[in-house]
Amino acid sequence: MGARHMVGEPLVHISDFRMDFGSQVVIRDLSFDVHAGETFGFLGSNGSGKTTTLRALLGIYQPTAGTLHVDGKVFEPRDGARLGYLPEERGLYKKESVLDVMVYFGRLKGLSRQKAVDWSHAYLDRVSLADKATTRVDKLSGGQQQKIQLGVTIMNDPELLILDEPTQGFDPVNRLLLMDIIEDQKRAGATVIMVTHQMEEVERLCDRVLLLKDGTAEAYGTIEDVQDRYGGSIIRLQHSGPLPASDLYDITLAERSYAELAPRPGTDETDILRELVVRGVAVRSFTTTKTSLEEIFIRVYGDRNEPVGD
Amino acid sequence: MARHNLNTVIGFEFFRTVKKRRFWIATLAIPVALALVFALIVISNESTSTTAEAQKNARLSFAYTDDSGLITETLAATFGGTKATDGVQAIADVKAGTVDAYFVFPADPATQPVRVYGVDKGIFLNGTYDAVAKQILVVAAQQKIGSPRLTALAQGDVRTKSQTYKNGQVSGGLNAVIPPMLFLLIFYVSIILLASQMLGSTLEEKENRVTEMILTTLNPTTLIVGKVMSLFIVGLMQMLIFALPVVIGYLFFRSNLNLPDLDLSHLALEPAPMIVGALLLLGGFTLFTGTLVAIGAVMPTAKEAGTYFGTLMALIWVPFYIVSLIVSDPHALIVQIFTYFPFSAPVTAMLRNGFGSLTLLESVVVIAELFILGFIALRLAVHLFRYGSIEYSKKLSIRYALRRRNHA
Repeated sequence: MGARHMVGEPLVHISDFRMDFGSQVVIRDLSFDVHAGETFGFLGSNGSGKTTTLRALLGIYQPTAGTLHVDGKVFEPRDGARLGYLPEERGLYKKESVLDVMVYFGRLKGLSRQKAVDWSHAYLDRVSLADKATTRVDKLSGGQQQKIQLGVTIMNDPELLILDEPTQGFDPVNRLLLMDIIEDQKRAGATVIMVTHQMEEVERLCDRVLLLKDGTAEAYGTIEDVQDRYGGSIIRLQHSGPLPASDLYDITLAERSYAELAPRPGTDETDILRELVVRGVAVRSFTTTKTSLEEIFIRVYGDRNEPVGD
Repeated sequence: MARHNLNTVIGFEFFRTVKKRRFWIATLAIPVALALVFALIVISNESTSTTAEAQKNARLSFAYTDDSGLITETLAATFGGTKATDGVQAIADVKAGTVDAYFVFPADPATQPVRVYGVDKGIFLNGTYDAVAKQILVVAAQQKIGSPRLTALAQGDVRTKSQTYKNGQVSGGLNAVIPPMLFLLIFYVSIILLASQMLGSTLEEKENRVTEMILTTLNPTTLIVGKVMSLFIVGLMQMLIFALPVVIGYLFFRSNLNLPDLDLSHLALEPAPMIVGALLLLGGFTLFTGTLVAIGAVMPTAKEAGTYFGTLMALIWVPFYIVSLIVSDPHALIVQIFTYFPFSAPVTAMLRNGFGSLTLLESVVVIAELFILGFIALRLAVHLFRYGSIEYSKKLSIRYALRRRNHA
């Protein structure tokens, strides 16, 4: 990775990627791009092949077939100076002090010793671990170790930041802190690829997403594209009186005075409101919202059996 | 960047090792133990010297009978002996403790044993009887011969001074054997000290789940070479620390420790065996390092790696089972097999190099074999680490890892 890329240029390019483990096909014909400067949500249920794809992209696995390029070429560890990778399998040198580990990785990523030390102290201060600099890593809690690992991941001001379930194991307060840190990286121009099961994180941070199912791309595009394709909109209705059936909508939820209606394809929300009024429903409130990613996720993966591994 | 990272890895691995208390306990245990042994030797020597002095001054009273006719009464008297006329009475005197011992010198002491009856003074002091009886016979024989020179010759007290030639040149003899053997010593010490650390060097990344972070930050070759180099530096430091009490003991306490006065100027440093020895050491070290790191990359835990580790370590000792054959008949089939089998080759070839039986052609072949196989083992170790260490908790299938080729 060289100089910063123009926003919109593909920084990551994957085409016709296939990955077999023995006789098991984990990924088949997967193709997508991640553009420079965007935050890309890489979604899927456990065992759908997300981590496998990231490992193949970073040269940890050799792909069975296909092209996986970062900045136009196969990734090499020497390019790691501008890569930040937070793997799913977390781990640090547990018998060493926090500062020693951070400085070691900082040095490997090209920082001078002094810069690595200064950066580490500033980061530890930000994540409320300033007093743990000389503590051995294995003396920290799991969440604290996660923070250190995130620090190691971003300490080289990465151009490409790949986060595999970054908020896993964090409490809500620290999850917000982590989201802030990721947003800072994004504002600084980093391209972010994020694997997560937290759909609110995706909706808050991601520009585009890819839903991986059984090793193929189930959906790929902006969040709105995916919402339009899988759920469209939902009408949330506060009313009194009976709710009539109609060819214009399906009633997805009906409570005493609250209902959710899914418009049939091609139906305009205004026509539905008119229909309700004409048929004598007292409408107290009528709001249209997009189907949430969480609902789409459940709809897409809800019929899955237990995962076999990622 | 690669050089920078290599230095970073070496520095990190070295300092994290020497910062550990456990390292210093293990490292200092040997010199401390040596210092204790030396102190005990000094104390013991002083005590022995005092005891010897006391024994010298203590007179032994004994009776004797002599059927050989060699021992004069004057001679016996100088040792504290008096001639007995009645053997049964003499034994009774010993039992009563009125004399220390009764010696019965036979008619032919050269073929018949001298019988000794003595008061029990403990295992060590009882040996005095035997020593005195023998010494009386030696002095008696010397007196019969009448010439100290002939006596010395009869006792085989003869020195020889040899000069041998090899290819028309004066050969160094034993003085030429010692210097190349130092490489064998260094090989053993370095493998013994560092082998388990080499094995664990890549296991640590797996056990700490840090492999993915490393593989995306650093070339695995740089990591492994850096680890090996730092281990080598640590090993050198340990060797110096171990050698320190020996050097101090030799320089300042040589007489107290009864150490011989080594005259190193007699050692013959012949260039060819020294160069071959150094190359065999380097090649052997490379081969064992590569193999141990590869085992570490395949195995999920140190415990599971232990089985293979033990086998490998046994192989460096195996040549000593045939060391007499290596010296006497270097062309024997078993010696030839051990010379060329990779894991017994370093020790066997270094022994033969020291004893001067390794030909130039054999040296070239073995050195080339060790370096080539060592390089292959290191490459394999890097490959297995790169594609195997991600299998954090299970043993890697080597066939599976080797099937993985580089990107097109």
